Amino acid sequence: MVKYHYILLFFITSRLFGQIDSIQNIDEINILSRITLSKHNLLERNEINIIQPTDIGDLLRKFPGTYLRSYGGLGGLKTVSMRGLGSNHSSIVVDGFQLHNSQTGQINLGQLIVDNVQSVNSTVGLNSNFLLPISTQIAGNNFIINTMENSFSIDTLTIRSNINYGSFEQYKGYLGVKYNPNKFFISSFFSKQNSVGNYRYSIVNGINQNSRIRKNNKYSDFNFGISSGLKIFNGTWKIGYQHKSIDQELPGAVILYNETADETLQTVSDRLFTDFKYEIGKLFIRSFINGSIENQRYYDPTYLNNIGFIDYHYKNRSLNSGISFINYFDDWFLYGGLDYTFSDLLVNDITFAKPIRNFSSSMFGVKFNNHFFSFTTQLSGQYINELNQNGVAANNIFRVNPFISLKTRKISKKSQLDLWYRNSFRMPSFNELYYNNIGNVDLLPENANQTNLDFLFVDEMKNISFDFKTAIYFNQIKNKILAIPTKNLFIWSFQNIGRVNVFGGEIQINTNYYFSNNFNITLMSNYTYQKSIDVTNSDSPTYLNQIAYTPEHMFNFDLTLNYKENGLRISNYFISKRYSLNENIISNYLNPIFLMDLSVFKKLNIRKSQNLRFIFNVKNILNTSYAYIRSYTMPGINFSINISYAFN
Amino acid sequence: MRLINILSIIIILFSCKKEDVSQNSLPDFLSNGTVVLCEGLFQQNNSSLSWIDNNSMSVNNNLFVQKSGRNLGDTGNDIKKYGSKIYIVVNFSSTIEVVDAKTFSPIKQILMQNSGLSKQPRNIEFFEGNAYVTCFDGFVDVIDTSSLSVIQRIPVGLNPEDLSISGDKLYVSNSGGLSLPSMDSTISIIDLNTNTEIKKLTVGLNPGRCVTDSEGDVYVISRGDYSNISSCLVKVNSNTNIVDSVFNLDITGISKMNDMFLITYYDYVSGYSSLSVFDTFLDEVTNNLSIDLSNITTLYGVAYNSFTNTIFISDAMNFVNSGYVYEYTSNGSLISSYNVGLNPSKFHFYE
Repeated sequence: MVKYHYILLFFITSRLFGQIDSIQNIDEINILSRITLSKHNLLERNEINIIQPTDIGDLLRKFPGTYLRSYGGLGGLKTVSMRGLGSNHSSIVVDGFQLHNSQTGQINLGQLIVDNVQSVNSTVGLNSNFLLPISTQIAGNNFIINTMENSFSIDTLTIRSNINYGSFEQYKGYLGVKYNPNKFFISSFFSKQNSVGNYRYSIVNGINQNSRIRKNNKYSDFNFGISSGLKIFNGTWKIGYQHKSIDQELPGAVILYNETADETLQTVSDRLFTDFKYEIGKLFIRSFINGSIENQRYYDPTYLNNIGFIDYHYKNRSLNSGISFINYFDDWFLYGGLDYTFSDLLVNDITFAKPIRNFSSSMFGVKFNNHFFSFTTQLSGQYINELNQNGVAANNIFRVNPFISLKTRKISKKSQLDLWYRNSFRMPSFNELYYNNIGNVDLLPENANQTNLDFLFVDEMKNISFDFKTAIYFNQIKNKILAIPTKNLFIWSFQNIGRVNVFGGEIQINTNYYFSNNFNITLMSNYTYQKSIDVTNSDSPTYLNQIAYTPEHMFNFDLTLNYKENGLRISNYFISKRYSLNENIISNYLNPIFLMDLSVFKKLNIRKSQNLRFIFNVKNILNTSYAYIRSYTMPGINFSINISYAFN
Repeated sequence: MRLINILSIIIILFSCKKEDVSQNSLPDFLSNGTVVLCEGLFQQNNSSLSWIDNNSMSVNNNLFVQKSGRNLGDTGNDIKKYGSKIYIVVNFSSTIEVVDAKTFSPIKQILMQNSGLSKQPRNIEFFEGNAYVTCFDGFVDVIDTSSLSVIQRIPVGLNPEDLSISGDKLYVSNSGGLSLPSMDSTISIIDLNTNTEIKKLTVGLNPGRCVTDSEGDVYVISRGDYSNISSCLVKVNSNTNIVDSVFNLDITGISKMNDMFLITYYDYVSGYSSLSVFDTFLDEVTNNLSIDLSNITTLYGVAYNSFTNTIFISDAMNFVNSGYVYEYTSNGSLISSYNVGLNPSKFHFYE
């Protein structure tokens, strides 16, 4: 029994610590790992490489329950909402560090580098990584991204590089190198991307379909990072620095008959992070510090105000530090910790506030295991202190939020039932609280209750592996933050006015069938049903209507044929009709979207440890005219050619 | 092949058909009815025109698309008739749509752009064969109503909003609305014989709606800063071109009703609405209207229909739900109501 739990813990912590150590071939581990690491909600490097995502958002939309909001174009705003909760309820974690943006409350997935991503997974319910920052573990849901550069590996030298040319004059290059002798590693990466970006789109105008070029779409970015890790005492210490600079034009919404757009956005961000993970007997502890500064300049050279332009400079700083632990006993785990985040915003606009936020989170959890089930409960407390050096500050907030989970261990060795409930909230962003006339300092946090029941079945036979998961869930969102006009039609303000009920169900089927040693076929598919209805006011015309930008049906169907080192992947993505506003009427109707992408790939092995991979990718092969957000039309058919080199 | 078939079936199954919204048919020649301009929402390209048929007491919310085959654009702001044509000013699309007044057939779309930048037209008036259009880029454009092309740009103040003609002078309210909180406070007075500005007159912060009464005096709403400085109504003597009086009123809109003004007020914070009559001879609110506004969520537009002697009120609901138009008799009895497009604001009446 003790051995079993030790194995479990070992398994978890080995993943947490990112160390590749040999795992003994014990049945229990295999079963456990298959349950824990079944392919649902997980994309790994090989697949990511073949998919050739434009950015991280392109990957996350492949997970069930996620709905992508993309404003189009490289670097354009992309966010993902999960199971009807707004994107501000999601935490984005890269290599164990949560990304922060207090100004908007959400991370632009379009601006995250994707070339160095080793794996991406989404989690709802209990996050099995108990050493993540506490604020991540208690968030509504997580998207966890792991990169090549920030982990120990088996190989002494690892090299990844690729060059890419794509439609709309897109050039991209990436080089990552990691040197990893026995006791330490040091790694670095560079990436550079340029694109003219003016893509062709078509838009319905009355009874006509008009084809146009979306202009003012130039984009260039540069990413650089350096990291190092050291195995010391009974743990590991890592430190890293990353820099990102982006120059982009903003095409804005497609306005009928008016194609003028000349706004630009510059982003420069620097992030320094370090963590120390160590083991004292049965206690595993991680402490970390993660600081970032993001400077943004929004420039509209022809704005019709008294000076004839807008030139706003935003500086958003955040410092996040904390400690988390897990301690195991025979049948028990104790875990928890605390973290603290300081963030502020400096704007050159004198009418904007100078907000400072002190956000502390603490959590304590207990997990009990036996042969039949595991029971987990946790209680978190969060205190948010708001200051404004340039006016009235929002109220301080203290919240206590519970989580509880009951998971079967052995209906059979291949299946698992999980029932859980989570209560969480998201703070209003600085923009929602303080942005000139739009902000409202009286806003309350947006609350979310999530209840979930899911069933997982994993099996493996001679020629086929099979991974099936289904879930049903009911979420409630209260005090939903919405913008409404409060002074005139042109001056809107944020208010807590919405209540939404979300009834959902998901089915995922992933399977791998081997026709022979050389030939196999892989299917990754999922379907989501989601009824997200407005229950704010029974007298409202939108009562019981599906809320805006929430499809009832979402469907992913990715099929990969592998023959030796060559292959073909067909990705199909479907979302049903949506409405651009909460009122479900024809004038707000947005067409369903069906997208088919195609990748052809060939791998050439050079000696034992090196390979070249050639990928030809066609996106939107059916040239579908579509938009995630009304008036933000997306590109038609486009292609890319990618050559990547890997050493180990 | 089988896979594609399966996919096709799935798509068909889930691709729910658009709701079948029956729209009442439109007559070839419009008469005895009302065109309602619904602004729509910024960046949604969903400005629309509704046609209310007085005979059948029915509404069609797709007038422009059905007559022209295309959408009106983004944020329609004004509609007026001159001669045999109707002019629709579309703000963010930066166009003026000119249609035949009888058939509503499209005649011309005037693109309101200057060196590749949108002028953002707001409101329109007419004088001796010319149309005058306030443009948010700081000009009043003069359009020849025969050639339907811009023949002159008259520089005025910052973000000119509304305009009104008295005699041979044009009064233009310079809102400066895009420089909040440092807005403009003036009106520009233009000599229509020379099409030049002859005076800038300070009337109060954030001038908006501008209306001329039957005696030729011009009334301008100063909208204040929406917080500390409240709104007022400013009367300008068109003979002397100086401010005659300032009336401290809660006011968001004016519409002419014969020799009187209908004055509206909507408090965005409390949701309170009021509608009253302003006597332009006595220069005071007479309050002799007894319209029950309790069913109005957001009082957004009002107009008097002289053909039917009725009052039309538009309700913008919460600005993101489709609006309503209510028709009342002049003594305040509700005749009918119509569900129209987003943010109905202005009306054009047909005999």
